[in-house]
Amino acid sequence: MVQVADGQLVDTFVELADTLTDDFDVIDFLHLLAARSVELLPVDAAGILLAGPSGALQLVASSDEHVRLLELFQLQRDEGPCLDAFHTRNPVSATDLELDDAGWPSFAAAALGHGFRSVHALPMRLRSEVIGALNLFSARPGELSKENLQVARAMVDVATIGLLQARTIQQHEVLVEQLQTALSSRVVIEQAKGFIAERLNLEMDEAFAVLRRFARNHSRKLSVVAAEVVSRSETVRDLFRNPPTR
Amino acid sequence: MEASQDGRSDDTPLSRAWRRVKDEAHLLRSTVTVASLCESAVAWLGVAGACVLVSTGPGSQEVRVATDDLASVLAELEVMVGEGPVRSARELGSPVLVGDFDAAGQSRRWPLYAPLAVQAGVHAQFVLPLRVGLVDVGTVVYHRKAPVPLEPVLLADALAYAELTLLLLLDEQVGVAGDESVDLSLRSAQVHQATGMVAAQLDVRLDDAFAALRARAFAEQRPLSDLAADVVNKRLRFEPEGGTR
Repeated sequence: MVQVADGQLVDTFVELADTLTDDFDVIDFLHLLAARSVELLPVDAAGILLAGPSGALQLVASSDEHVRLLELFQLQRDEGPCLDAFHTRNPVSATDLELDDAGWPSFAAAALGHGFRSVHALPMRLRSEVIGALNLFSARPGELSKENLQVARAMVDVATIGLLQARTIQQHEVLVEQLQTALSSRVVIEQAKGFIAERLNLEMDEAFAVLRRFARNHSRKLSVVAAEVVSRSETVRDLFRNPPTR
Repeated sequence: MEASQDGRSDDTPLSRAWRRVKDEAHLLRSTVTVASLCESAVAWLGVAGACVLVSTGPGSQEVRVATDDLASVLAELEVMVGEGPVRSARELGSPVLVGDFDAAGQSRRWPLYAPLAVQAGVHAQFVLPLRVGLVDVGTVVYHRKAPVPLEPVLLADALAYAELTLLLLLDEQVGVAGDESVDLSLRSAQVHQATGMVAAQLDVRLDDAFAALRARAFAEQRPLSDLAADVVNKRLRFEPEGGTR
């Protein structure tokens, strides 16, 4: 198992804390968190799913935006570790999907087809409520070490704090407003990805990278830029004229 | 139309609300409508009334259903004073849930609207935007006379009713009147990606692109998510002048 270097971990939390400013973008933040999870933990893909209004889990951020990986997250509306973690309120792992599908035949087949052998899901909890899950995939079989599990839990806690923005959410209503906003932002980002992919003849993951880089380069919020793309605002004309290169 | 066939995902606030309104409509030998959704929500959520506003253009909405006079009064009030929770919800793109208009902060948020709402006899209002990303379909509003917030469990049910209202309004736009099952295509990322792609292909607004996608899915009797997958995987292109390639 790869051990996490303390310095790297500290750097990550400093970086995450830095993004938690008044004007931060929740999807961008969760995306960063998913990307860092893959760097800090012995996993090959990470995603953050939130519980939608009617109890369904929806992906809001992932370490990469390949269409097939997104499908794997989406499958978990019906079965898989995230749904189980959501219902049991506890971490769920399948250490080798080749030997045991853990009761998720469709999900296990899809994960194996994508080259993943083990999968983990950690519930995101706010007091008594489960609001989502961090989903980790690895190409190798095996469980997460105790240290790695601690890191993963810390990432989950930071994700929860970032998501809820306010330090203490006293009212359930505010939680619902925040969750709905995050889920809705993700839909706008998907719409913008489609628009950019078509205009610039890119794949969806490349379109996301272009969108994100443009937002970063202009110090703008990802979800605001996405909204401007689909409403064809003048402010994003340069994105199509001089698309940010990789 | 698609149904959620899976046993585990079938027991959600959404599927329960859907079964409830279908059963109620069945008893009346009728079908589920926006009005029947409102009536069911009012009874189930324990609110005094409901109002559904549909978007008629950027920044404009009109009342489609109001279950009581107060619902209409509140809608008119917002137009009159130019502020209020419905307008705020549209601007924010997120729910606005007010458990008590008299509570600290609410009169600062809506200095004109809050006291007038209380004067009209309404202390709590729960506003849920009906939208798919940037596609703005309308708003659903529930109100209570007493200053009582929606309990967490009922809030989940209120969101489920709102989602059903959204689905029904979307179906109406393309002339679908079936109420056999709940179409969960809106949960598919590819549907939203395809909407963006079609907007670029046809050079139309996002809501028109979304309508074009749904109309075609309906015409071909295919699930929206299937058609969206074809668009995203470049097996299908929408061409201006109504053609496709």
